[in-house]
Amino acid sequence: MDINELIKNLASEFEFDDPSKLTATTSFRGLKEWSSMHALIIIALVNSEYDVIITGNDLMQISTVQDLFDIIISRKK
Amino acid sequence: MNQQPFSLQGKKILITGASSGIGAQTAITASQMGAILIITGRNKENLFDTLTKLHGAGHVTIETDLCENIESLIDLCDGLDGIVNCAGITKHLPIKFIDKKSIDAVFNINYTAPVLLINQLLKKKKVNAGASIVLLSSLASIYPFKGGALYSGAKAAIDNFSKTIALEFSPQKIRSNTINSGMVRTPLLDGAQETISKEAMDAHEKSYPLGFGETTDIANMVVFLLSDASRWVTGTTIIMDGGLTAGT
Ligand SMILES: NC(=O)c1ccc[n+]([C@@H]2O[C@H](COP(=O)([O-])OP(=O)(O)OC[C@H]3O[C@@H](n4cnc5c(N)ncnc54)[C@H](OP(=O)(O)O)[C@@H]3O)[C@@H](O)[C@H]2O)c1
Repeated sequence: MDINELIKNLASEFEFDDPSKLTATTSFRGLKEWSSMHALIIIALVNSEYDVIITGNDLMQISTVQDLFDIIISRKK
Repeated sequence: MNQQPFSLQGKKILITGASSGIGAQTAITASQMGAILIITGRNKENLFDTLTKLHGAGHVTIETDLCENIESLIDLCDGLDGIVNCAGITKHLPIKFIDKKSIDAVFNINYTAPVLLINQLLKKKKVNAGASIVLLSSLASIYPFKGGALYSGAKAAIDNFSKTIALEFSPQKIRSNTINSGMVRTPLLDGAQETISKEAMDAHEKSYPLGFGETTDIANMVVFLLSDASRWVTGTTIIMDGGLTAGT
């Protein structure tokens, strides 16, 4: 898997009109749209697409899309 | 005239989900009020732990997954004066991620299992006239949350199952009520907190005028609903939410 696929999936699930505003260095909580709903979407997406479990507490520890990608890679069996 | 309307002395009561949280505390409180219990759960050690905390004698445990086997439990039950369904799970899943598997996972234990258990107990005449049924629903059934479509849906379905029992079994004076509770500190809440983070849960607690509830708060209400003191209460959904939905 590569990070561009994750970015594409996230932008689609977040329903961003302009997907290019999401990059590897984007900080989730820095997004003006960020809400608790986005955290639920990330958790459900990572579980359904990558079969990896992450928690809300994990999301509190990380900042960027790259950090999320690194967690997925490290937990992928 | 009953001099002790709040007592459960000698009443035989089935409590599901008694191996943890609200069910475990309800068993302890009901036994203190004199009830004789049949308690169920899946985790043997936790169920046994609840048994050791019960007052009085004659209590029975039965380990079973309610989605897989209820026959042995139904056979064991007889002459019930009360049924309390606490077994249940919660799940946060945004609508776009719902699939058949997640619908089954949430509805099987929160709706299908208690409906089949109670329908069989009634059909096989295991429930005494004048008995009281208490179903742990959730505030979510009337006040849903993001990611809670399946959970709040299953709980809304249980609310109406309960009202229908109240209607169909009034000739036998069998009562049924739900407790629609907001957040209570239990292992279930710890699981939800894992998903949404401790920060989000702490922020949510601030919106409760009286803060989150304790298992004893719910157990005391269950005891009231099981007792003859509530003989005129049936078909209701009792909101317990520390004032959350009173207004802003
Ligand atoms: N805590 C809250 O904030 C809250 C709020 C509103 C409503 N409620 C409702 O209150 C009820 C009790 O919740 P709780 O917080 O006490 O939860 P909990 O501590 O997680 O306990 C849940 C109980 O359900 C049992 N259970 C789950 N799946 C089962 C299955 N397939 N077969 C048999 N037993 C099963 C568990 O047994 P094992 O552990 O032995 O597997 C456990 O005894 C639930 O219906 C919940 O929806 C809770």
